[in-house]
Amino acid sequence: MRNPYEVLGIREGADAEGIKKAYKELVKKYHPDQYQNNPLSDLAEEKLKEINEAYDYLMKNVGNKNGSSSYRQQEEPRYRNNQSDADRNYYSQVRTNINMGNVAAAEEILNRISSRDGEWYYLSGLIFMRRGWYNEAVTNLKTAVDMEPSNFEFRDALNKVMFSGKQYQSTVYNRRGYSTGPDTCSMCQGLICADCCCEMMGGDLIGCC
Amino acid sequence: MFGYIMPDKPELKIKEYELFRGYYCGLCKSMGRRYGTLSRFALNYDSAFLGLLLSSVHDEVPVLKKESCIVSPVKKKWIVVENKYIDFAADINVLLTYYNLKDNIRDEGGWLPSLALLASKGGYKNAASGNKQLDGIIAASINAQVQLEEQNCSSMDKAAEPFANMLSQLFAAGYKGEEKSVPRILGWIGYNLGKWIYIIDAYDDIEKDIASGSYNPLLSQYKYEKQDTKAFKAAIAEEVRGNLLQALSQTTSSIELLKLNNKGIIDNIVYEGLYSKTERILSGITSEKRSCIKNEKSIRSIGN
Repeated sequence: MRNPYEVLGIREGADAEGIKKAYKELVKKYHPDQYQNNPLSDLAEEKLKEINEAYDYLMKNVGNKNGSSSYRQQEEPRYRNNQSDADRNYYSQVRTNINMGNVAAAEEILNRISSRDGEWYYLSGLIFMRRGWYNEAVTNLKTAVDMEPSNFEFRDALNKVMFSGKQYQSTVYNRRGYSTGPDTCSMCQGLICADCCCEMMGGDLIGCC
Repeated sequence: MFGYIMPDKPELKIKEYELFRGYYCGLCKSMGRRYGTLSRFALNYDSAFLGLLLSSVHDEVPVLKKESCIVSPVKKKWIVVENKYIDFAADINVLLTYYNLKDNIRDEGGWLPSLALLASKGGYKNAASGNKQLDGIIAASINAQVQLEEQNCSSMDKAAEPFANMLSQLFAAGYKGEEKSVPRILGWIGYNLGKWIYIIDAYDDIEKDIASGSYNPLLSQYKYEKQDTKAFKAAIAEEVRGNLLQALSQTTSSIELLKLNNKGIIDNIVYEGLYSKTERILSGITSEKRSCIKNEKSIRSIGN
């Protein structure tokens, strides 16, 4: 195991508060949501695992056992469970392949399907996203949403794609130290949005609401 | 490459600025030493970034030397020397310049590019003979690009693919260490930066390409039909921005997965630098002309 202080990017002997703060920052940075459309998501997951281990280790040794594992228990199972549940039909095979990062295989199976319904465009959008064809991805996801406006999954995927560019923008604003303006606002919106999503899945991001 | 990947200077610390300049000047000197003084006119910021990123990912401690140079003969500056990643970036700069000039001549002809091509041929031959693999990657990408242009490809994603793929392979090829995940990460960074460069360059060149009747993926995708150029650009800006920011978002989240030295400079480039470049070009402040003269100027401006 690497030096846990190094993993969390803090000086040795930092107190529980400092550890928690650094940990929260890192979890935010490497959260699966941030890498959902990134083919390197497995590496981000590894990184998060390392961060969780370092945090657990330090919390045990600092002596605050209550604080440990809070994020991991919420986030990881949710992120992993879309991988099982395979092979019922082509669509689920496509989904499985996308989740495992086999973009070429997913594309090949998808092209065998002749119907062009919302789900087809949705999956096609996800594949384009993984390949880095962002314009085609958005076009396909929009088609999926237009065909099935009530489908939450499709809409959610489209929103996430649109949101990640905005998020980059607000990171830049934050780095420059601007504290006001529409971008902080849209970040809050995003947070509230994420909170709602978490609550739907049984978790919670913002404790007070 | 095109020189779009620049730091946001006012936001850099002085020591970061000096170190970045050290890498940039080091690249220039490496090109001059190995491929002749003329090759230095093609120096650009994108290659400097590549050299810096590769050095940083290999945990290389820069060796600095105070030297003077032709654009700043009196005042000596700190320069990064004896760095094989800078040499790698120099090779790529020389190779790409040659292919780029060849491409320009095919598109537009003219005596100036022909002369420049002639001048860069010697450097190219030297660089290519030492880097058969890199030369092969670039040549294949240019071939694919030419084919797409001939078909008047109307999808920006498809049109950007050869260039993005090329940078992906070149970035990954620059890694000489043992970590398995690093070339994958570098490759994805290269892919997304390549996409960003290709699309922003296409947007930047709209007026020029309309005037000369050259291929431009954005003119094809958004079906330009002799309407007002400004209105056309304004109408597509939002969608183009979405694509550019997506590529940058993927770039930065991939960079966060690397263990890097010089994080301050690199973050400044990929967050502030690339973002402000994006907004500047989308709002119609076009970048400086990209010619030999411009590159010479940029050497000078960094020396001042």
